[in-house]
Amino acid sequence: MSARDDNNKQSTLVALTSSALLLPAYQAAADAPPEYTELGVRYSKYEEDDIEGKKSFGGGSERYEIDIAQFHLLAPVGDNLSLALDVQWEDMSGASPWFVGESSSGPRVIMSGASIEDTRTEVSVATRYYYDRGNAGISYTYSDEDDYESDAFSLDASLNSEDGMTTYTAAISSSWDDIEPTQGSIPTNAVDEEKDIRSAWIGVTRIVSRQAMVRFGLSYTYRDGYLTDPYKSRDSRPDERKEYTFSTGYRHFFDEYDAALHLDYRYFDDDWDIASHALDVAWVQNLPEDVQLTPFFRYYTQDEARFFNVVTETTDRFYADDYRLSAYGALTFGLRVRKDIGNWSVNATGERYRSDQSWSLYNGNEAPGLVDFWRVSFGLDYTFR
Amino acid sequence: MKYLTGLAVALLLCGCETVQPWERGTLAKEEMQWQSDVMEGRMRDQIHASKEASSGGTGAAGGGCGCN
Amino acid sequence: MLQRLAFCLGLCLSLAANAGVKVGDEAPAVALPGIGGTVGITLADLRGKVVYVDFWASWCGPCRVSFPQLEAIRRELGPLGFEVLAINVDEDEDDASEFLSEVPVTYPIVRDAEGVTPQAYGIMGMPTGYLVDRSGVVRDIHQGYKKSDGEKLRETIKELLGE
Repeated sequence: MSARDDNNKQSTLVALTSSALLLPAYQAAADAPPEYTELGVRYSKYEEDDIEGKKSFGGGSERYEIDIAQFHLLAPVGDNLSLALDVQWEDMSGASPWFVGESSSGPRVIMSGASIEDTRTEVSVATRYYYDRGNAGISYTYSDEDDYESDAFSLDASLNSEDGMTTYTAAISSSWDDIEPTQGSIPTNAVDEEKDIRSAWIGVTRIVSRQAMVRFGLSYTYRDGYLTDPYKSRDSRPDERKEYTFSTGYRHFFDEYDAALHLDYRYFDDDWDIASHALDVAWVQNLPEDVQLTPFFRYYTQDEARFFNVVTETTDRFYADDYRLSAYGALTFGLRVRKDIGNWSVNATGERYRSDQSWSLYNGNEAPGLVDFWRVSFGLDYTFR
Repeated sequence: MKYLTGLAVALLLCGCETVQPWERGTLAKEEMQWQSDVMEGRMRDQIHASKEASSGGTGAAGGGCGCN
Repeated sequence: MLQRLAFCLGLCLSLAANAGVKVGDEAPAVALPGIGGTVGITLADLRGKVVYVDFWASWCGPCRVSFPQLEAIRRELGPLGFEVLAINVDEDEDDASEFLSEVPVTYPIVRDAEGVTPQAYGIMGMPTGYLVDRSGVVRDIHQGYKKSDGEKLRETIKELLGE
């Protein structure tokens, strides 16, 4: 096996969690399953900017590129149940930072230098039961890559107050992840490792007026096991992580504009000394001819992990030079267009993500590996009316 | 600051204006849902979770992936 | 601040405790304009019949399930003295008209954009249906609507028609 082959496995980052549990949508009427079966497909292209020559050894280099295909099916079953099936395929290629070294002109990234493909498949099945004052769901998600496997279960339930003005929701989830890095001439940090994630969430949604709703949520997540990135050369992380989030959201409909404002905010804090703020804003504008235009914006900023250094000291107990653990700020601008034609709906989304240390609310040195990317998606939905 | 936040939360949650069941047509609109597109939401959450150090906040955390 | 909160909560509770129509009560009057500005049929006009007073809106999902079923029951039991009186509570009448073009029915539809009748009935969710007997008394209250509800409703109506 060549070093080149091994390097491609840097595609696998020791899991940063994904796929948050989907919360049931607010039901304005008595709780009931969807009336019709819905089917949707999406194709997306995710592409990171090349790393600049002055930030990497060996000149500029390509980074990650991912093709993503998604399938979604939601169907009512009988009087009180719905069934959902979600499948996602990803095809990834490119290079990612291996480690950061010091040069005469400052720190530079050594890229993995590979360009080979890796694929991931995720299948999720969920069922939801609807009762008079709320609903409850259970889901199972399986994710598989060559060197990474995950099984996750989640449970959630919601209860409406008698007047229907307030909805209380609680959710728990658990996942078991297996990491088996591909071994080769370049040694990885791990052979066969495991990681468990336990998470709990509580939330309350409240109707504010005929046009507005607000929600608040608190979550706690406990990660236990191998949290180090096996494909980074200078990475050693604690085997435990406790995370807390406080989140809030607001929806307001403006009759005069036939548009809805979406505001979402999340504060995150953990015992690795990482804290972050994420603010999402979207304006959903209805236009004639069943067209909907949604510009959206996101600001994100995080503090660095206590064991992060731009160039690490591998003599420490824990260390990492992963740009994802550095202090930075990130801005996203995006636009989404949707058009409904009878039972069909077509949509397209484009977004630009840029990150920079100077946009951060937190102090820290800039990691040379900070990422910028483009994402475009095309989707088609059908409702069996 | 904490005091003010607490007050704001209490007032919002209390929000004395009762919106009657038959007055919830606007709130039932698809564009007023917390998550307007399941697949879009899933993918964005995943991209952010794999490129940033924090995640969650929209529910209990799901399973991991090796997404880089 | 606590005092204010307590006051506010008290007010919320007092509002929530709005006593609605119960089984055995006389059905409150329904005298509303018909859809499209027509003269609406009133509940009093239907005295002597068994009437299903149905509060609905275009945005209410289960209403789409209930309409075809109510239409079928009315076709079957109408000749025996059954009628549906559907009260639309949409703010915008165009939304109601669009819904009716998708789910057409032949029973009378009246409009109450102001919410006077749902307030009088004290409905707690959408849809809510009140089964009123031949003497004008509420005999059954039906909140929400599931596919299998039609059969049960049909049996109850038949019983009331036989009285």
